[in-house]
Amino acid sequence: MPPEPEARLNRPILLSALVGAAAPLVLAAVGQAQTGPAVIAGLAIAVLGVFLAQRRAETPAAPVVRPVVAAPPDAIPYATILEILDEPVMIIKAGEPGESADHRLVFANTAARALFRIQNLNTRLVTAIRNPQVTELVDEALFGGMAGHGAFDTGGAQDRSWRVMARPLAGPLDGPPLALLTLRDQTDLRRAERMRADFLANASHELRTPLASLSGFIETLRGPARDDAEARDRFLGIMQTQAERMARLIDDLMSLSRIELNEHVAPRGRVDLSMAVTDVVDALTPVIRDRGVTVDWTPPPRGVASIEGDRDQIVQVIQNLVENALKYSPGDAAIRLEVIAPVPGDASPGRDMEGAGLTLLTPDHHAGEHYAVLRVRDSGQGIPRDALPRLTERFYRVEGQKSGDRSGTGLGLAIVKHIVNRHRGGLSVESLEGRGSTFSVWLPLAADPAPDQPLS
Amino acid sequence: MNEHIVRSFEEELNQLAAEVVRMGGLAEAQVNDAIHAFARRDVTQAQAVIARDKKLDGLEVDIERAAIRLIALRQPMANDLRRAMAAMKIAMNLERCGDLAKNIGKRTLILVEAEPAGPVTRSIERMGRLVASRLKEVLDAYIANDVDRAVAVWASDTEVDEHYESLFRELLTYMMGDPRTITAGAHLLFVAKNLERIGDHATNIAEIVHFEITGQEIVSDRPKMDSLSQ
Repeated sequence: MPPEPEARLNRPILLSALVGAAAPLVLAAVGQAQTGPAVIAGLAIAVLGVFLAQRRAETPAAPVVRPVVAAPPDAIPYATILEILDEPVMIIKAGEPGESADHRLVFANTAARALFRIQNLNTRLVTAIRNPQVTELVDEALFGGMAGHGAFDTGGAQDRSWRVMARPLAGPLDGPPLALLTLRDQTDLRRAERMRADFLANASHELRTPLASLSGFIETLRGPARDDAEARDRFLGIMQTQAERMARLIDDLMSLSRIELNEHVAPRGRVDLSMAVTDVVDALTPVIRDRGVTVDWTPPPRGVASIEGDRDQIVQVIQNLVENALKYSPGDAAIRLEVIAPVPGDASPGRDMEGAGLTLLTPDHHAGEHYAVLRVRDSGQGIPRDALPRLTERFYRVEGQKSGDRSGTGLGLAIVKHIVNRHRGGLSVESLEGRGSTFSVWLPLAADPAPDQPLS
Repeated sequence: MNEHIVRSFEEELNQLAAEVVRMGGLAEAQVNDAIHAFARRDVTQAQAVIARDKKLDGLEVDIERAAIRLIALRQPMANDLRRAMAAMKIAMNLERCGDLAKNIGKRTLILVEAEPAGPVTRSIERMGRLVASRLKEVLDAYIANDVDRAVAVWASDTEVDEHYESLFRELLTYMMGDPRTITAGAHLLFVAKNLERIGDHATNIAEIVHFEITGQEIVSDRPKMDSLSQ
């Protein structure tokens, strides 16, 4: 489609025209009156121009695809646009040189007023922002004519991180210097950075603990316990446990990274969920017998719970959930496994027990989708309500359950979540302290007439 | 009295308060940066905190001088006198906060030499964030002339005390577990103590703000935890 004539009148030209038109207006307005709507409006237009130009400078120029709406510039309420921008924008008027506490706000848009609880304009800047770095940036913009940027946190309960930019603003020659202050929310970015750092720290910490115990025992075996056959046997037993723990941890880390790599690739293949559960229960029979736990499992008729999925991964999900249930069950307790299908997608999977419940993963909604639900219920000590949202965090363990013979890596539920997400399924947990927990996984059923079509 | 003079006196008091707020911003940043440097083992930032403390000292001297000059020349009464005195006393408390932050910076420089103490460090960081938020709250109360907010800060002091006490126990266990950690543990204990005292200064400021606005002391009894001093 050929571009229309207006399309060539792209944004830079419009902008420069706009700022050019606005500048004299601002000069005149500020020169004549100290305050008043005229100043605000004039400044608002100039600032909007600078602001848009600034945004533009940060994003690479893209070809104009859509024609610019051909409305006369003065029909657009620029001050209103500035007012409702999501980013906080402020204009600051310089106080006496050297008196940084005397800078005043000439303008602050809605976002800025809400963020800093600004009641009325012409108040001092420090009463809104007292961060010394921001004060310095503003000083430099006002008296040094230098643009600069920095970062600061607003603190408090809703701690938010901001990138702050200050730049000088052309004002009247005989008036006080002006500066523009804009903020951009960077909270999510900071949080992601922090999570990555925490993950590295946690992973190395988890690996170091068994390693330290291994090297400690090696030292003892080469030294004091060299000729003590009994101690040697005992130590070698512990060393083997620790080495296995390390191996498990590394296995889990590797499978987690593999799953994450493939998370956006839909799985191919058919799995019968109830058959997979039977297989897992069979494989775990020795462990179940050792712990003296009874497993209550009645498979539904074959073929009812046939899902599209990667068999190994589905088995891993079931295994992790059943192993968790085993770990947190006292001896002679019962674990109940249940597969229910088909469950319509718009009906919630339903509650299994009293107590707190939380959905840890919700699949995108597809109309007419039906699910197979797997429920794993234990009668262990339960999970405190405030720990529920953090269950799928890597290396997170519920307080007070870390010690003892529990041999988990803290990655099991993270793996479950990522696999289920890859299968476009959901995950929820319900728990009542002292009574036990139920984990539910729901996975989309395979569409009926779909025998696998070979690609070649 | 000439109206012009009255207004400029009011303006002078406002300017004094603005200077206190600016100093508060710096003290707040010092505390936040000290906690951050401590938690992230950031030597550069810790050194920056130590170096910047002079600026805070300078600001306190300026504010004290300005307040004394104002009292001497204007001889303010009642409300106005309270405002001038509050500015001076708050500046004093802020300066102490700065000293404590600087001390955390110095201890950070020592602690980075030792093995990181993961969980304890995180507990201290959590306590630090709580203390920083109290300092922020009380300064906001001062700016907004809000007695209720100041009283809320004053009343919630036990929260910091509880944190400190549980940290104290955590650190004892940590040091008993491995005597090699005692040096680091002692420094960690002082970092926690410094934070607790910054919290106390926030409480002091809340009392000053209350007196500045109402002309009365806060009377009701605050629940006090002093099981440590037994």
